[in-house]
Amino acid sequence: MMHTTMEELLALRANEGSAWARRHLEECAACRAELEALYQRVAQLKALPPLGPARDRWPVVRAGVVAARARRRRRLVGWGGGLAAAAVVALLMVLRPFRAEPAYAAELAQAKRQSASLETTLQRYDPDSRVESGRAAALAALLEDQIAALDAELARRDGAGPAGGPDLVQLWQNRVDLMQQLVDVHVTRAAYVGL
Amino acid sequence: MTISLAVPDVLIARAKTGDVEALEALYRAFETPVYNLARRILRSPEDAEDVLQETFLEVVRSIRSFRGDGHLWGWIRRIASSKALMRVRRHQVRAEDEFDEETTGGSAPVSVPARVDLERALERLSETSRAVVWLHDVEGYTHEEIGEMMGKTVSFSKSQLARAHARLRGMLPGEGAAG
Repeated sequence: MMHTTMEELLALRANEGSAWARRHLEECAACRAELEALYQRVAQLKALPPLGPARDRWPVVRAGVVAARARRRRRLVGWGGGLAAAAVVALLMVLRPFRAEPAYAAELAQAKRQSASLETTLQRYDPDSRVESGRAAALAALLEDQIAALDAELARRDGAGPAGGPDLVQLWQNRVDLMQQLVDVHVTRAAYVGL
Repeated sequence: MTISLAVPDVLIARAKTGDVEALEALYRAFETPVYNLARRILRSPEDAEDVLQETFLEVVRSIRSFRGDGHLWGWIRRIASSKALMRVRRHQVRAEDEFDEETTGGSAPVSVPARVDLERALERLSETSRAVVWLHDVEGYTHEEIGEMMGKTVSFSKSQLARAHARLRGMLPGEGAAG
């Protein structure tokens, strides 16, 4: 006697069984027992106790939230700062025939270029969508906070007018150092472990 | 596992503004269901924890796009399922899947101690089979939805489910050999 296959039993369970399978089920006690066992198995699967994680991953997720917020803030500040910087450049262009270019201008421009380049590297890597260790995430969050504080100071300086000096160069160079460390935490280590 | 987690709308609204306390409350509410879903599909607890982390990073990033026209758990579960299935695919590429098929040999009855329980039997299935049986029979996804999430056909999902049940039946004590 031919019995129903597992495919047919599953179809019967889904009320999609063939006419032959439905007819056979009425006549065959063994297949009825198989179908009942299938129902039981699924009920047991649904009743399995839930498994919980051994480690708490919230601190890493939270660090990701904080880091993303700091990045957004930095982008906004950078955007505002960019406008202010453009205004300063335009003013300098107008005044250029009458004023000598400060000696630190080239260093300042270079630090800003390096900072922008590191920002681009970080954006391409998209750390928000990556899985990182708790330690790396915590370190990244710390660096993000320091960069955010530095950006606030740079924004304040931009808002105060075009006056700058060697200390402004130093601030931008500090920003480059911090950005480089942040890139190292995210990109370099991830590449090292093959992610 | 049946989930009937009711999350207050006000909590979701706060989470959408980026309120960290509200986001943590959501994480605590769905931490176990998400991990459980991932762990039932994936062999490694570490992989399941990574899926948990990836899922909530995605939730935090995209919660503003949750329109509230369905249950929040349904939305989070879809993200978690996709993340877990991405890992299954990655493991297949690395040829680390189908462990049971290779070591026990096709669909022949498996010699397993009579005390083996459903949980252990489930562990012995390939990640693909586990994914299909769990998503279909426990989480309630249709074959169409599973096929779409896995990048496969409806027939693939149906045949994987039949295969998984045939293997579970063979491994579980007390389930006869009729048929």
